[in-house]
Amino acid sequence: MDEILLRVENITKRFGGVVALDDVSFTVNKGECVTLVGENGSGKSTMIKIISGIYSPDSGSLFINNKQYTKISPIESLNEGIQVIYQDFSSFPNLSVAENIAINNLVISNTRFVDWKHIKSLAQEGLNKVKVHIPLDALVGDLSAADRQIIAIAKALLADAKLIIMDEPTTTLTRKEVKQLFKVINDVNAQGISTIFVSHKLAEIREIGQRTIIFRNGQKVVDLPSKDLDIKTIEYHMTGHSIDISNLKYSEPKLEEIVLSVEGFTRANAFTDVSFQLHRNEVLGVTGLLGSGRTELALALFGQHPADSGTIILEKKKIKIKSIFDATSNGIGFVPEDRLKEGLFLPQSINNNISAKIIDSLKNKFNFIDGKKKSELSAEWIRRLKVKTPSDELPASSLSGGNQQRLVLAKWLAFNPKVLILNSPTVGVDVGSKTEIHDLIRELASTGMGVILMSDDIPELMHTCNRILMMRKGRIVGDYLREKVDEEELNRQLIADTDPVRVGQEG
Amino acid sequence: MLKKFTQTNEFLILIIIIVLSTVVGLINPKFFSISTLFDLIRASNVYIILAFALLPVVILGGIDISFIAIAAMSAYATHMFLIARGYTGGILLYFVIACIIGGLAGLLNGLIITKFRLPVFDVSLATQTMWYGFTLFFIGATSNFSIPKGLVGYYANYLAKVTDPVTGDTGLHVSIIFVVVIGVLMHLMLKYTMLGRNIYAIGGNKDVAIRTGINHNKVTIVVFVIMGILSAFAGVLQSAFSRNFNPTLFIGQNLDVLAAVIIGGAALKGGRGTVIGTVLGVLLTQIINRSLVLTQIPAEWQKFFIGLVLIIFTALPALRQKRAARLGLAVKSEVSGS
Repeated sequence: MDEILLRVENITKRFGGVVALDDVSFTVNKGECVTLVGENGSGKSTMIKIISGIYSPDSGSLFINNKQYTKISPIESLNEGIQVIYQDFSSFPNLSVAENIAINNLVISNTRFVDWKHIKSLAQEGLNKVKVHIPLDALVGDLSAADRQIIAIAKALLADAKLIIMDEPTTTLTRKEVKQLFKVINDVNAQGISTIFVSHKLAEIREIGQRTIIFRNGQKVVDLPSKDLDIKTIEYHMTGHSIDISNLKYSEPKLEEIVLSVEGFTRANAFTDVSFQLHRNEVLGVTGLLGSGRTELALALFGQHPADSGTIILEKKKIKIKSIFDATSNGIGFVPEDRLKEGLFLPQSINNNISAKIIDSLKNKFNFIDGKKKSELSAEWIRRLKVKTPSDELPASSLSGGNQQRLVLAKWLAFNPKVLILNSPTVGVDVGSKTEIHDLIRELASTGMGVILMSDDIPELMHTCNRILMMRKGRIVGDYLREKVDEEELNRQLIADTDPVRVGQEG
Repeated sequence: MLKKFTQTNEFLILIIIIVLSTVVGLINPKFFSISTLFDLIRASNVYIILAFALLPVVILGGIDISFIAIAAMSAYATHMFLIARGYTGGILLYFVIACIIGGLAGLLNGLIITKFRLPVFDVSLATQTMWYGFTLFFIGATSNFSIPKGLVGYYANYLAKVTDPVTGDTGLHVSIIFVVVIGVLMHLMLKYTMLGRNIYAIGGNKDVAIRTGINHNKVTIVVFVIMGILSAFAGVLQSAFSRNFNPTLFIGQNLDVLAAVIIGGAALKGGRGTVIGTVLGVLLTQIINRSLVLTQIPAEWQKFFIGLVLIIFTALPALRQKRAARLGLAVKSEVSGS
């Protein structure tokens, strides 16, 4: 049974002076699902790119179906049946489901004319392999992320894939969709096709993978059956040190001072009758699965998709939030989930980014920007948030992921908000930087603001929050003090009673 | 099937055309006449062919403004060349030579865009100015009215003729055949050839198209050659209609053609657009032009109305998306049994 499909042998890859992969060897059996984990920069993506032929290794070789390659070209890799599904799912939003699934075959077959019947039968064949029904005429742009993912898998199978590599496939999926994806992966494995599953979500690793490989600093440090690993062990091997949470310094909320009070907050098809209070120095967690109304609530509080009804009282003053401008002028800050797209001006300098929100206050008496004030300000925040950079004149794009997230925080902190809303601030951030961002959030709250943290990462909430609200189907269904709840209970509540009907489709 | 059609852009333009025609017809009954229809068709033919030239470029995700300069240069250069040689024949040779020149000019656009990886708009901004300048400086700066014998009566070469008591003789011009043939070929190319599907794929997601193995440069170059050929064809046709060859033909009309293509449902960001929609888009803009004359609304309003229609049609996809987002996603998958 344990026939080997892919054997990676003593692969080393350097970029300049940096060793990205250091003498790495592992195997993937036919029909096996291997999960690959590691922090950013641990060598996972380099490994994928070597297998798919985008990079060639400095030494070592690949054996695919017992055929040796010292380096493999992208075409050879495809011909050996290796298919990579990237995070953008490689889809054409303007084309139909059928065409999206069949397009690889059409391009390869080098025909001049298109036979739509043939396209549809090819596509149907692909969908049959994943055992999912999606209307063939639908435009892919109208589909959910989960369905686009399934289409990418169907496409790979249709191209006779022997090994499908999925790069963080569950980032944008709801819990129910993740389950459906896992079912599809199991089906695919049962057909003798192997999968490599790259993930940051440690809880999923034990659910899907038969074997887990952990990379750290370019080396393989663990290669064990997934059932023998628990989350703490995985974390330990990823970071190289254990994360001690026994003496975290939580901020102490002043319960007599209410910073923000929300009552009867409602937005059609998003959330209903949401009420809560946020105290000074408090970190309030809001959790719920994708589609529970969690993100929608965050966007409504920030005025991006305002609520239809309800009242907001900020420091005893009733305010209206109908736009982002209303939110910021009242002192509400927002750290978005997608920091690259929404949080930063990537090509602009670090100091421009830090001062972006408060540029008005840097004016001198001639209404010009005071350069000296600006550099003082940016120097101060770079120091306080420990942003690692040789100069604040460098573009924000020169920073690593963790440092970029700090820069987003710096931008909002310079603005001195009364309330700071963080929406999944550590998505796609590795375990090490994650811990540092958590430290930062707790510190921030102690300086006197109210912090709302939206996240579905239960350990994250337990490490940072004073209180946690649970949302389900657009309503708040639980209010827990951190000291009086544990991760298991929260996890149980999180996935409890997950009705298949999406909130957006009710009524 | 019917329900699906009523949700299309084409259906909406059709409704607007019908409503507009009815209103204009009620104000001025002259609008409902065969001669008006034939006039409308003749005037639209040239612009439909120009719109066909632009359509694949827009689907590919580019905005070209140089096609009118290519049209002017090709038609004018062909005419001056043939006149100098004492040509007395018909329009066919005009089409052949102009289309070769136009195709080469389009090729130049395509090569610059693919070789230097430049945005379509930037390149076309340069080549538009360049071709108009080239024509005026090297070929001639004034309109030429000496028409070869074989081309003299071409503007009135009708398939069917009607006599209108007010406007005199008019008819269904023979150029309708070109429009139909080019339209059918364009539709077949876009829908049933790999070239056409590759154009949509690149317009939908260029990076993925390249990753899929589509020869992006080749497709781009072919699209621009097609653009050059069809522009030149339209240039000759328009010159034959107006019985003079003008070095600044179509100048300033590139955005009107683009507007018609966009109204016809093509997306500026690429990936969408149809032949039928494009034809309807041109017809609608032409009807707006004409109806305002017939209802004695001042000509300045024409542009205003076309602008208004353009706002509606560019806002439409955004409105649809907003509605879809509110109602939840339209399409759902099901895990089949087992």
